Amino acid sequence: MHDFDWSSIPNALPFLWDGMKISLEITLSAVVFGIVWGTLLALMRLSSVTPLSWFAAGYVNLFRAVPLVMVLLWFFLIVPHLLESIFGFPRGSDMRLSSAIAGFALFEAAYYSEIIRAGIQSVPKGQMAAASALGMTYGQAMRLVVLPQAFRNMVPLLLTQGIILFQDTSLVYVSALADFFGAAYKVGDRDGRLVELLLFAGAVYFVICFTASRIVRYYQNKLKTA
Amino acid sequence: MISMNKVSKHYGAFQVLTDCTTQVQKGEVIVVCGPSGSGKSTLIKCVNGLEPFQSGEIIVNGVSVGAPATNLSKLRSTVGMVFQNFELFPHMSIIDNLSIAQLKVLGRNQEQAREKGYKLLDRVGLREQAEKYPGQLSGGQQQRVAIARALAMDPICMLFDEPTSALDPEMVNEVLDVMTELAKEGMTMMCVTHEMGFAKRVASRVIFMDQGRIVEDDSKEAFFEHARSERAQQFLAKILHH
Ligand SMILES: Nc1ncnc2c1ncn2[C@@H]1O[C@H](COP(=O)(O)OP(=O)(O)OP(=O)(O)O)[C@@H](O)[C@H]1O
Ligand SMILES: [Mg+2]
Repeated sequence: MHDFDWSSIPNALPFLWDGMKISLEITLSAVVFGIVWGTLLALMRLSSVTPLSWFAAGYVNLFRAVPLVMVLLWFFLIVPHLLESIFGFPRGSDMRLSSAIAGFALFEAAYYSEIIRAGIQSVPKGQMAAASALGMTYGQAMRLVVLPQAFRNMVPLLLTQGIILFQDTSLVYVSALADFFGAAYKVGDRDGRLVELLLFAGAVYFVICFTASRIVRYYQNKLKTA
Repeated sequence: MISMNKVSKHYGAFQVLTDCTTQVQKGEVIVVCGPSGSGKSTLIKCVNGLEPFQSGEIIVNGVSVGAPATNLSKLRSTVGMVFQNFELFPHMSIIDNLSIAQLKVLGRNQEQAREKGYKLLDRVGLREQAEKYPGQLSGGQQQRVAIARALAMDPICMLFDEPTSALDPEMVNEVLDVMTELAKEGMTMMCVTHEMGFAKRVASRVIFMDQGRIVEDDSKEAFFEHARSERAQQFLAKILHH
């Protein structure tokens, strides 16, 4: 039986909090960029311009067919080299955080775009017709009439996807970036208390994600009754 | 005002409109009727280019709807349209529904747009509902708002696609009254409707469609007293006995 010893946690809290800040930073940036790029992809996918809709379909299918951890590795290993050789970035500058954000954002955009596409399609066709009949251009009708309604319906799904993304940020350990999970691992490894630290990290993830999904459910019920 | 010449449209092999030709003069009220699926909605949606058509020509106020160079958005901002299901924007208050296109399409300022909106709400008797949302209004009220929203753009003519057929019977008249009022003021109107009482009171002409063709296009007296085609006679017999 394992003898639990939690004593290394209190001292490590500031370090763990730094890790949590990195996890949250990756999550928030990836959600924001992912939704923006995902919206553009969804609009391309629904567009009547064939090359655009093919490009979007290809993009979405590609990213949904490869494991996330592989995309992250590409971004850690290949993209910094490309940037170095193309833009002359100083060799060895630490781009792991920006690489991680870029990797997550591009990957998540594929998932977001499918949610957003379904959201756009759930808005009755007559809304677009009515907006056009008032003289709005396609862009105005989308921006002012269709997308606001689509996003209103989609908020719970987008947030749920954000929660999944928050959990997935732990995958950045492949680059030895000290996010919350990585920080917990490092402390545990250093003090020989890996089990305790990983249990602690798991509990923190659970509390955050469980609370967040409760909030999403509350919002969802409110939408339904509204 | 509106001139259609041999307008045809098909979906694949299915012919929706065949050689539809008619003229609407300024100030005329045209009622379009016919059995379900005969192409009435399609016909009036061609007028403001919401439905494209493959051949023929439609001229609205001197502008050819089908011509590639035509700025359709600009054309549509001058033609009001009212839909069967109202199609108010549910995420905006009533007054915002009336203002949004004035602001974004006509470039009016907030003050002008709201003033115009309130004036039109007064006119359809819904001034007190201005801050509510569409979901809080009855069907009849929503449709009156939809008419006001179209009028806020100062259209040169109005298109109606079965504006009362989604309404409970007791709300039909409040909408028809607004339309009658509008007709009396000289608005040019094309109305798809099965309200034959409205047609008898207000219409200048009645168009009867069947299987994508304009079968009758005559003064309302001629249409109601001696419709020429058998299809129109059957249709009238059915609808008037309801
Ligand atoms: N997108 C489409 N693809 C194929 N057929 C269509 C499409 N839209 C409409 N149609 C067909 O075109 C015909 C005419 O439709 P339209 O809506 O103009 O009829 P309508 O006279 O307005 O009928 P209703 O009284 O039911 O509103 C119908 O047979 C319909 O099934
Ligand atoms: Mg119809």
